Amino acid sequence: MLKLFGYLLKQGVATSGDYCAPLAEGVIGLPKFTDEVCAGTSCGACQTECPTQAINVTESDGKPDVTLDLGSCIGCAVCVRTCPTGTIANDNRTKVASDTRLDLIVSSTSKRTTSSNTTPQGIFERSIAARVVSTGCSACDLEIGACNNAIFDMERFGIHIVASPRFADVLLVTGPVPKAMHSALKSCYEAMAEPRIVIAVGTCAISGGVHKNGYTEANGVDKILPVDAYIPGCPPHPWSIIDGIRNVMKRK
Amino acid sequence: MNPKHEIVPISDREKKLNDWLKKPGGRLGHITSIDGKQLITLVLDTETGSSFCWETPIEHSTYPSLTHTVPQSHWYERTVWDMFNLTPTGHPRLKPNLLHESYAPDLVPLAHVEVNSLTAERRQYKPMEVTGEGIYEIPVGPIHAGIIEPGHFRFSCMGEVIFNLEIRLGYVHRGVERQMCSVPWRHQRFIAEAAASDSAAANAYANAIAIESLCEEATTARAEYLRSISLEVERLSMHISDLGGLAGDIGFLAISATMSRLRGSALRIGELLTGSRFQRGFICPGGVVSDPASNLMQIQKMTKQLQIELKPVLQFFFNNQVANDRMEGIGRVSPRLAIDFGLVGVAGRASNIDYDVRRHFARGVYRQDEIAIAIETAGDVMALARVRAREIETSLYLIVELIDRLPEGTVRVPLPEKLKSNQIGLGIVEAHRGELLHLIFTDNDGGVKRYAIKDPSVNNWTGLAISARNNLVTDFPLCNKSFGLSYSGHDL
Repeated sequence: MLKLFGYLLKQGVATSGDYCAPLAEGVIGLPKFTDEVCAGTSCGACQTECPTQAINVTESDGKPDVTLDLGSCIGCAVCVRTCPTGTIANDNRTKVASDTRLDLIVSSTSKRTTSSNTTPQGIFERSIAARVVSTGCSACDLEIGACNNAIFDMERFGIHIVASPRFADVLLVTGPVPKAMHSALKSCYEAMAEPRIVIAVGTCAISGGVHKNGYTEANGVDKILPVDAYIPGCPPHPWSIIDGIRNVMKRK
Repeated sequence: MNPKHEIVPISDREKKLNDWLKKPGGRLGHITSIDGKQLITLVLDTETGSSFCWETPIEHSTYPSLTHTVPQSHWYERTVWDMFNLTPTGHPRLKPNLLHESYAPDLVPLAHVEVNSLTAERRQYKPMEVTGEGIYEIPVGPIHAGIIEPGHFRFSCMGEVIFNLEIRLGYVHRGVERQMCSVPWRHQRFIAEAAASDSAAANAYANAIAIESLCEEATTARAEYLRSISLEVERLSMHISDLGGLAGDIGFLAISATMSRLRGSALRIGELLTGSRFQRGFICPGGVVSDPASNLMQIQKMTKQLQIELKPVLQFFFNNQVANDRMEGIGRVSPRLAIDFGLVGVAGRASNIDYDVRRHFARGVYRQDEIAIAIETAGDVMALARVRAREIETSLYLIVELIDRLPEGTVRVPLPEKLKSNQIGLGIVEAHRGELLHLIFTDNDGGVKRYAIKDPSVNNWTGLAISARNNLVTDFPLCNKSFGLSYSGHDL
């Protein structure tokens, strides 16, 4: 046992010091628009190649306009690789959470600034208890699990994972919520005390991702419950998840 | 590798399958259907690395169940009943597997035949009841206390001892197999990866092999190596995670915390290789999407470092007396039952089944003696943990070694737009949980008419139910973690 303590002491501190560090060079995040002008509907390569129909290329007044739904994007980087003009590039930011579904739809011409109703003194400012309900492929769950490890250590930000909805302030839902989970998810939400917050974690939870429009009605959490915040990504990086929860903590 | 197609009349099916399973190297790969007019029985010969696809025409949507002589078919027959409305007559415990009460009774997702009016009774699920004085039930789930996928466990107990565990799945059934047929084959890999993201690389790899066999094209040697490296990295990170989870359930938190930190290093290796922590979007039919040439040195360095760091942690874990006491003799699955229920992967090897797709369906990447044969006979939690630990060593060795031997060249070959018509394509891969199969049937125009996935968890869920029997309720988490099964991979 003493040897084990000795070993652990020698390992030093693993916890990461920089909050929401950008992704390392070469790591694929969500796509973003650059200032390069798109080739327009005559090209449309990104739209055809996108496996989740997240991209829509249109032209208004002869000017090309591309809209990109980050809530449907699975971060496969196919658009980044196919775009001949370099209009779409890889985004290495990990602060990607947003308060509304509309904020996730970005356009190449009108750059929207994310609006957030956060205040310095939110009700869950100091600590928040989170219940995780998984309804998907387990990638997002593993990343929420990773938030708890020594590297990201989300407990230092006052975020605790709890084992019952009765103790929870926030419900983290992962996965597209297929039909067999509809009633279980609703009863979990109803068991929570108010005020309560729902966060859709990951592309499936936001829009159904690759599973949408199937016979299992797996089209995302907001078809079942009112959603207060969205964390896009497939799966979102642990920093994105921590940042998304921190955002709702600041809410009045 | 295309399986050989053979028509097997319904009268011969039972005898033929029983004979096949008795011969050395004979394995049942999958039982499914294409559109509800036939039964497909995929059998494998692990000695020669070949596969056969038996097609049995079915009339009137019923066929005799094989569960009494081939126990492992019980699970497949339930799924086929759900998805194709083919009724196995004489099945001892026929009940829905994937479709729950909330689905319309006449929904038969994969059958293209007229279905007669079906009643809601068909969807009713009755768990097996154990009766007697002092017997009580513990229901758990579908939403679990931890951060894991949903599933319902029902324990029938007497005091602290589990008599029977019934596992009900299907909560994360998302309709993956039907979705696979509705998209162009170039986009299939993204859905395949999302079938079970902890085996994303394995699923993409199996999809790529199956599609390539349907194009009658082979990828480059360099791409084949890179895919194998990717698969080993995935195995490494998941085995570390599973052993850490096991330590956590024993209450050995120093080990579980260290393991979850070291899993971060394994994920970083995957990130260097593929640009993604879960190695998504990397493997594609025809090869891989990018060549990580400039990162290979760093991957080797990190792998060697991880090897050094893991060694003492594993020693602390396996030398700890309390950990040994908690794991030894717990959750035993006998070799006989393991064979009867066709257990695969780590669970199979812990019960003396010498089967590893990397050796038996070799693709020319690994050398003959390279995959250490990690076999245990005890079949208990300890045996599973030991097999995992040894496979971690093998994976660490293989990552370094395969990079050393990596051939030069390109990493992607162009594939034709259209697949070969009326063919069967099979992708078989050793995922970190075991044998993963992707089976594709094409129609007259080269479109995909049926895409079947058999996750290793399909075989092993029954193994978990067996392992829990006659153990204490408090030991169940250990049985569960030692198997480390996928809900989403099973439910699809």
